[in-house]
Amino acid sequence: MKLYAAMLMVLLPCLAAVPEIDKNKAQGSPTAPVRLEIFSDFTCPHCKHFHETFLPQLMKDYVISGKVYVVDRAFPLTGGGHEHSREAFAYAVAAARIGKYEQVADALYAQQATWALGGNVWAAVASALPSPEDQKKVQALAKDPGVMAEIEREYQYGASSGVNETPTIIVFVGGKHYNLPSAPDYRLLKSMIDAYVPK
Amino acid sequence: MPTYRNKPLYWTVLALRVIVGAVFAYAGYLKLREPWALFAMGIDAYHIVPYRFLEPLARTLPVAEVAIGLWLMVGLWPRIPSTVISLLLMVFFAAMVHAKLAGQQIDCGCFGPGDPISKWTLLRDGSLLAASLVVTWFAFRRLPRTS
Repeated sequence: MKLYAAMLMVLLPCLAAVPEIDKNKAQGSPTAPVRLEIFSDFTCPHCKHFHETFLPQLMKDYVISGKVYVVDRAFPLTGGGHEHSREAFAYAVAAARIGKYEQVADALYAQQATWALGGNVWAAVASALPSPEDQKKVQALAKDPGVMAEIEREYQYGASSGVNETPTIIVFVGGKHYNLPSAPDYRLLKSMIDAYVPK
Repeated sequence: MPTYRNKPLYWTVLALRVIVGAVFAYAGYLKLREPWALFAMGIDAYHIVPYRFLEPLARTLPVAEVAIGLWLMVGLWPRIPSTVISLLLMVFFAAMVHAKLAGQQIDCGCFGPGDPISKWTLLRDGSLLAASLVVTWFAFRRLPRTS
């Protein structure tokens, strides 16, 4: 019993360090044999490329068929060019709460060059939310401390998992997990997934 | 059976030979447990190998590591495996130092995924290279025998 309690004491902080998966920021079947957690930043040009070219291919090849579960994780960068990163994540996570994450993420990446420099993040977010009601909800939720806490939890989880650049993919398969090199070649990723999930 | 004049030296070189061979074979085994593409991504992260060579290299190198590592451990014609291992370790070490100096925060790829290049990995691989060079040196320079 004492051993069990000691193990629980050791394991609890570890469990707490892994944030729950926000299903509104995930795509595919949660029971898929392979899970890819993607740590990205809306102000990062490589993430934009990844989101607009790599991800649609992954969706078509594996996510729709239920072989891969893709989870978006927030990893807001800091420093020059990333000043509006957390604000963008606040709106995106707020949009996730009303089931509009994908639309907002698409708009943020599509208009990255404009808002990341100019700072008008809301204009990009609003363009993805035609309904004034949704816009009000997202603006209110973006100020929710719970939203900022979720972003911080995911950032800390990424940092403690060895993520140091974006986009970084962590692969979870068969009880194991490991970080892939940043922005891997899609053909190699495809070969790796095919090895884990034979057709 | 011949006896060697300098027994401590003989046993040290023998131990180094077995250790270097075992570490090399183990590194190859760890890579073989994962899909080849995972190792290929690790090689690709260094940006020094053209894409067309990634698959052949990722498929053959782990097998070669296991084979050559075991060969060195067995000790038959040790000049060949020790030279090959030393040359490979020189290439690996140079690539790691280059990546570190270039500020690349990538995995070493030495023992499968999840092994980022750091001072520790450089020290570890540098020590292995030094040990391998010692083994190679003594493979070519026969130890003095008493009979």
